Amino acid sequence: MDEFDDNEIARLLRLKRYEQPPPGYFENFLHEFHRRQRDEMLRQPLWRICLERAHSFMLRLDTRSLASYPAAVAAVLVCAAVVSLKIYQQPETAHVALQSPPVLSAPATAEGEWSLSSPVATQIFRTQPVRSFNGSAQTHRAAAPPRYVLDSVPVSYEPTFRF
Amino acid sequence: MDQPRVDPDRELVKRTQSGDAGAFDELVIKYTPRLYGLVYNMTSNHEDTNDLLQDIFAKAYRAIRGFRGKSSFYTWVHSIAVNMTLNFLKKRGRRFQLSLDDVDASIQNDKEFLQSTATSSPVREADLSELQRRLNEAMMKLSDEHRAVVTMFHIQGMPHAEISKILRVSEGTVRSRLFYANRQLQNYLDEFRKNPVS
Repeated sequence: MDEFDDNEIARLLRLKRYEQPPPGYFENFLHEFHRRQRDEMLRQPLWRICLERAHSFMLRLDTRSLASYPAAVAAVLVCAAVVSLKIYQQPETAHVALQSPPVLSAPATAEGEWSLSSPVATQIFRTQPVRSFNGSAQTHRAAAPPRYVLDSVPVSYEPTFRF
Repeated sequence: MDQPRVDPDRELVKRTQSGDAGAFDELVIKYTPRLYGLVYNMTSNHEDTNDLLQDIFAKAYRAIRGFRGKSSFYTWVHSIAVNMTLNFLKKRGRRFQLSLDDVDASIQNDKEFLQSTATSSPVREADLSELQRRLNEAMMKLSDEHRAVVTMFHIQGMPHAEISKILRVSEGTVRSRLFYANRQLQNYLDEFRKNPVS
């Protein structure tokens, strides 16, 4: 057969397995590898070396669960943020809800009969109105009782006036 | 019935992952000759091969903590080697650097080599070292991807399935690349046979 067929090429290529590097190359390779690793390590910043050492130490102690601590810390932070947001928003709602019932009952009682209602509600009513009054509105309606009933509805829910 | 193959390097990998650098040294010693053959036949340059091998093992050492054992360590480290070599060849471009003659000077005294070439008629007719040189040139004319497949299949003796895992392509792609590369090599070597002095 004059031409190279697939088997012939495969046989020729297999001969390349015998091509080897210079003698002693494989023996020196590991030393060279260690030397390069050391050089690379010396070029690293100190904090990274410390971090890697700490990580290796943890792994040697077989505390693999700690390996995921960044994810755990992130999860805790997110939970803390959500909880603090809830807590921050909650007093507004609670304040209105607690104060509304005594406000509604206030006009029905006379000035001197405060002893029957709850002392806490009475104090709030006397010293601090739930909503601040508009000064001009107060002058126009001096004799009318304060419209506390309307205040139980948040301002944002009141329909806009149209003329 | 096929049973899942146990990775023979699993214990060494585990020890390396838990910080035992000596275990990784054993892996380096074990795989350096094979990876040398792979990288060298893709780059055809000893210095480049040496530098690349060092980088390949350094990268493997850095990445071994993330190795989950879905494939064998052998496949994993070969993937790193092939990808890094292909990237290197892209950066190097198509410049020719054949230093194979320096390395394989002793090959013609190798007993096994002489036995395997004795029965081959085209090899016997041609000057052996010239044929080798031509073969190396023909290899370098292949694209990087085709050369990688030829190296792994013909030179390293890997099966198609293993090559497809390493290159992350289908087995069909491996076979078609191999077929195309064989045709190209055949054409180059036939030209040499017809015009041995050119």
